[in-house]
Amino acid sequence: MRAYLIAAVLLALAIPVRGQAYMTDSGRAEFDSRVPLHTFTGTSDVLVGRISLPDSTVDFYLDLETLDTGIGKRDKDMKKTLETDTYPFAEFFGKLVSPFDPAGGTQPAVVRGTFTIHGHSQALEVTGTLEPTDDGLRLQAAWELNLDDYEIKPPKLLVMKVDPVQQMRISALLLPESESGT
Amino acid sequence: MRFSLLAIVAVALTWTDATAQMSRQRAEPNRPVAELFWAPTVIGTASVTNLSAGDLNYTIKHAFGLVSSGVENLYGLDGAANIRFGIDYGVTDWLSLGFGRSRFDKVYDFRAKANILRQTVSGSSPVEVAVMGDAGITTVKSGFELPDRMSYAGMVMFGRRFSDKLAVQVSPMVSHINTVFIERASDGTVLREENTHFGVALAANLKLNELFAVLLEYVPVVGDRSDGTVDAFSVGLDIETGGHVFQLFFTSSDWLIEQHMLARNNDDFFAGDFRWGFNVNRVFAF
Repeated sequence: MRAYLIAAVLLALAIPVRGQAYMTDSGRAEFDSRVPLHTFTGTSDVLVGRISLPDSTVDFYLDLETLDTGIGKRDKDMKKTLETDTYPFAEFFGKLVSPFDPAGGTQPAVVRGTFTIHGHSQALEVTGTLEPTDDGLRLQAAWELNLDDYEIKPPKLLVMKVDPVQQMRISALLLPESESGT
Repeated sequence: MRFSLLAIVAVALTWTDATAQMSRQRAEPNRPVAELFWAPTVIGTASVTNLSAGDLNYTIKHAFGLVSSGVENLYGLDGAANIRFGIDYGVTDWLSLGFGRSRFDKVYDFRAKANILRQTVSGSSPVEVAVMGDAGITTVKSGFELPDRMSYAGMVMFGRRFSDKLAVQVSPMVSHINTVFIERASDGTVLREENTHFGVALAANLKLNELFAVLLEYVPVVGDRSDGTVDAFSVGLDIETGGHVFQLFFTSSDWLIEQHMLARNNDDFFAGDFRWGFNVNRVFAF
């Protein structure tokens, strides 16, 4: 009888853990890129992410083929540079290392983990905000990505040298996993 | 035993949640392959690659005199160059419209290109298919009426990317020039021109790296041809600069639109009659 009780407790523990994870498959990712005399922004609205509060796990990825800079030819060139057929995703996997109060308002959030793009991984710490809402968790974060760190080499003939430092932003409303349908 | 199973399930559920990454899923598994050619033209003929919706492509094409004209003509650079300025616009991701103007015969031409099938990475479509039509108007002062000044080209382009490095295109094509001439050469030979030529253009793009690709283009006439018409051949280099696509090439033809390139090329590349040329392609958002 005691054995069943322990098992039931373990199962009961497991169920809430699953219930306190939040997911999205429609987050927004943006980057600003600078070339001489010009700045352009690339966007995607299919950022996929999951935050599990009990174990503080943070897992996000983006299919790089979905990035849109507003010029189709530039998109194609960018995807060639990123070698998206070989390395289709930009991804982050890590932990929420700052305290978080699910009952609080907008709170600063720090995540620490590994960011991978173009087949290269680097340790990354990102600061952003987490906001509990009636629907779920709202996330916003920004950081700088240096293309050189990931051996991404854009074409740089003539004057069109791309600044290796890209400004990255993500925002998403993550729904409770049971409601997100994912 | 039952307890053990329950415990394993419970721990597995918890453990999986705590440590596992989500499986990565492509957003569009059936997406098109990377562009087969880096520009809307191979060298002288249209490529199966089309513009994206809202892209405006500005093209400058040059073909100089024959390299065999020697150093006194700076290997053809002093010769009469044919030049074409052109603008094409992506109306949708599968349809583009354009116009241009060539120096030789002062031809204004209007064109449309539509992709009717895209090659996909999943293999659900193994080839890319596009159709192109061009109508040219010769505007030299000659007393001809408009219908006599017209020329036309039609192409059906079948392209396939075989690997990350190699893309190939086969394009049955037709050229029709409304007004042609019968001339007598200096040796008395009568030279007859045909109104209509059929051909099968062959093209390849061999990527060397992200910046450079080798281009080949062969435009043989199939069936009857005008006296003196020779199959056009070109070899070139694509240079992708992240803003422009430069195409540097040697070509037998100094004609820069399809109907004239197929029907009116008189120089034989393999007999040493080729010329230097270049295309510059620049895409703007519009």
